[in-house]
Amino acid sequence: MSSYIEEFESKVKPKDYYDRLYDELVRLNPRLNAFNALIKPDKNGIPLSVKDNICVKGIEATASSKILKGYIPPFNATVVERVLKTKRFSIIGKTNMDEFGFGSFGINCEKPAKNPLDEERVAGGSSSGAAIATALLKYHVAIAESTGGSISAPAAFCGVVGFTPTYSVISRYGLIDYANSLDKIGFMARSADDIRVMLDITKGKDNRDPTSTDSKIVGLHHKKLVIIDELIDKVDEKIRSQFFEFVEKLKNLGYTVKNINLNEIDLSIPAYYLIAMAEASTNLAKFTGFKYGFKLNDFSKNYNEFFAEAREEFGTEAKRRVILGTFIRSASVKDKYYSKSLIIRKELIDKLSKVLKDAFLISPTMPIMPPKISEANSMSPVQNYATDILTIPPNLCGLPHISFPYSYSNGLPLSAQIVGSQFNDYGVISFVSEWEKNFEYKFKYNIGEI
Amino acid sequence: MKIGLEIHVALPTKSKLFCGCSTEQVDTPNINICPICMGFPGSKPSLNEEAIILAKSIANILNCKIRDKISFVRKVYFYPDLPKSFQITQLQESIGYEGLIIIDKGKRINIRRIQIEEDPAKIIRSEEYSLLDFNRSGIPLVEIVTEPDITSEEELTSFIFTLKARLYYLGIDIDREIKADLNISLGKERVEVKNVTGTKNLLEAARYEIERQTELISRGIEPTKETRSYDEKERKTKASREKESDEEYGYIYEPDLPEYNIKNYSIRETVDPIEKAKELAEKHAYNPKIILEAIAFDRYALDLIERNEEKYNFNSLMQAIMEIKRFKIDNIDDLSLKMLLEEIEGGFQIDKDTISSIIKHEKVKHSDFSQEGIDNGIREFIEKNPDILRRYIKNKKLADYVAGEIIKRYKAKPKEVLKRTIEILNSMTGQK
Amino acid sequence: MEDKEFDRLLKISRIKLSEEEKQRIQNDIEGILRYFDSVDKFNEAKIKPAFHPIRIEGHPRGDKIEKFEDKDSLLSNTKTYRGFIIGPRI
Repeated sequence: MSSYIEEFESKVKPKDYYDRLYDELVRLNPRLNAFNALIKPDKNGIPLSVKDNICVKGIEATASSKILKGYIPPFNATVVERVLKTKRFSIIGKTNMDEFGFGSFGINCEKPAKNPLDEERVAGGSSSGAAIATALLKYHVAIAESTGGSISAPAAFCGVVGFTPTYSVISRYGLIDYANSLDKIGFMARSADDIRVMLDITKGKDNRDPTSTDSKIVGLHHKKLVIIDELIDKVDEKIRSQFFEFVEKLKNLGYTVKNINLNEIDLSIPAYYLIAMAEASTNLAKFTGFKYGFKLNDFSKNYNEFFAEAREEFGTEAKRRVILGTFIRSASVKDKYYSKSLIIRKELIDKLSKVLKDAFLISPTMPIMPPKISEANSMSPVQNYATDILTIPPNLCGLPHISFPYSYSNGLPLSAQIVGSQFNDYGVISFVSEWEKNFEYKFKYNIGEI
Repeated sequence: MKIGLEIHVALPTKSKLFCGCSTEQVDTPNINICPICMGFPGSKPSLNEEAIILAKSIANILNCKIRDKISFVRKVYFYPDLPKSFQITQLQESIGYEGLIIIDKGKRINIRRIQIEEDPAKIIRSEEYSLLDFNRSGIPLVEIVTEPDITSEEELTSFIFTLKARLYYLGIDIDREIKADLNISLGKERVEVKNVTGTKNLLEAARYEIERQTELISRGIEPTKETRSYDEKERKTKASREKESDEEYGYIYEPDLPEYNIKNYSIRETVDPIEKAKELAEKHAYNPKIILEAIAFDRYALDLIERNEEKYNFNSLMQAIMEIKRFKIDNIDDLSLKMLLEEIEGGFQIDKDTISSIIKHEKVKHSDFSQEGIDNGIREFIEKNPDILRRYIKNKKLADYVAGEIIKRYKAKPKEVLKRTIEILNSMTGQK
Repeated sequence: MEDKEFDRLLKISRIKLSEEEKQRIQNDIEGILRYFDSVDKFNEAKIKPAFHPIRIEGHPRGDKIEKFEDKDSLLSNTKTYRGFIIGPRI
């Protein structure tokens, strides 16, 4: 399948297409919690969902947090503006997520998301709703966001294609920040070609986001693949064996595979979390219960008490990260944690750039199969963080990466992740395009099929 | 005694530091606002290049070393007037450092640092709420941090005067009140007086604090290290409320802004009025203090002097400048100036009528008084006020008063009138 | 982490916790910090920090006024009194 977008645009839609789509989603949503808001579009473009931390003017944006309940953004995020400008898309809803992006399973929110392929299991996070929507709808693309793996993880668990571009390629203006030096807006779809269409429309410098750039994006489709041993060692036995079978298939398609050691890679998780939490704790400081979102009406309190009471609306994981982030930033430990992590980031970027000059990194996207929701709830924070081991390195280093299914086991997808060098975004997309010529994805749902 | 200052100066840019909202001062609250200066989630800052140019120029005036590359940090603290609950400011990579300024009597005041930062919103305290006006939020500021080199009230006054005069010539509006933190130690420990607005309050706060610490020391008590605030109404410094003490700013690099290479940004040309006054004084053998007073906050006066110093007698020119200031003449043309100088050099009194005539380029009316006419005027006046003679005997200075009245009424030449008045009074009272 | 230190952090970050949450989170944080301590192992003094993953050249904008047209949409998110925004007292 090349492009669902093209296919949709070439077909004649029945008059009540969107009404039926909407009704079906309304019916399913209470079970799966994919959407925070469902919208009946008035135009007839390709159905588009937007992760609820990305601002759409006039539509509530909550980042799945109680503290933002009622926030109506007065502007569109740049990515949304660029997409709407083409007049080819119709927004059908804001998708559910882990609060502010804090989570890898989609359960850190008021309405935990469920995996449509097995409703007892997690959908992955933090872009849980985006992945579910892509797994449900035949014709649809999702605008999502990744800080440490929030596009790859849910895409992998729900069996769809999830693409995260190089940091700075897509403007972050209008994205409710988790960690500004790590956040990237990206996409989910059912094919690499659709990802390419979205990247074409949205990439490029935005004057409103000084960290966005106009650097040239290339499409180098390397035939050499690299596996980092320290990473593959952390993958579940069962997944590893299936992954190696997949790698054999790739060899038959003409790829060479090399194993390397990179022992600093283990430091990527703590370095990532230290930077992410430090930045997040400053980004969440603006939520004080009176300018937007949740408003505390009790003015008998002085400002310190008022703020503390309003910020009780944060979920537990958000509170944990704000407290930790504040600690990490304190003068006494700043050099030890925060400054060190910035150095580790530089070191990893340099080392990986060398490896990726003429190759892609390949690995399973996640080290485990999607856990049952009850299991996930009983995991400790550290166990949680450790599941990001395969997605964190490209995210920390701002490298373009893409997750896609390569097999299925007991109805659940097995996904792999390809990582390219900075600005080789079209390269990783090409890889998946080629894979799709040799493998057909399976979808349990095809809502909106014409 | 050691005094150091942290002074915040608002930069005269058209738009705010990180967004395109106007910086114009308006009466209605919350007019010049947008998602960025209100700290709406999803908004991002966008740096104004004019702020860089002005900050660089200030750093230059203060003889600072200027960095080629600057960056910003987040200073995190919670207060209703701070929209993001962090202020974007500078720390290590501040635009200027290690500078100095020379004040009266050649005293050097070293400048530690110059940094660019954003202003919080305006907060009006009411009993039950805070009322917030975000027009001010995001206005570009430069913070000037001095070393504690000021050692007296006189030096403090001179420092403020010198700084304000230099900033004036950069276009920095001294009417927009500057805000400062004052650090004063007479003993071993440093007392911080925070958030003092305006130079008058700054001097008063310093005066009060110096007295307070002196008094403590005289009683054998060491002033404690603390943060105080200045109460404008009571004109005292007071121990501060909790706000300042426990906060930990938790600085991190501002991740929404990259590093900026400012090497190629030009520095605005400006005038040092103190140097200028000295130059002119030497050139024309005139009192530099008077020149400085005339030009320190008046670019127009300097311009007039420079355009006309070769054309006219310098003394007369300076007098003319004083009259122009006195009568608040906005834009005097060359002919009017020439006429004004003629009046001055003719020894005539300058009054409202003189000014109105010269502006209209009309001949100034002088009373064409003969000696006789003036004498009659004087005698008439004395007749109407007979006890003047009695008072004159006791106090000769009364002649000035009488002469003054005559000059006013008749617009006659002052020196002549005074001479005749004295002569007449003397003859009428039988004195010499 | 000591109780006193933890309480100070709560105060600085304006976070309130129930007794139960406090126990739980304080515990979690100990574990997490131990896990993070591993970054201390990394010892390269010569490497510069990467504040962003890519090198970005800053280009400031020109000093032009750009009015935000829809001010009502800003103010409608909050509570106002005579044009001022209402916040908690100081």
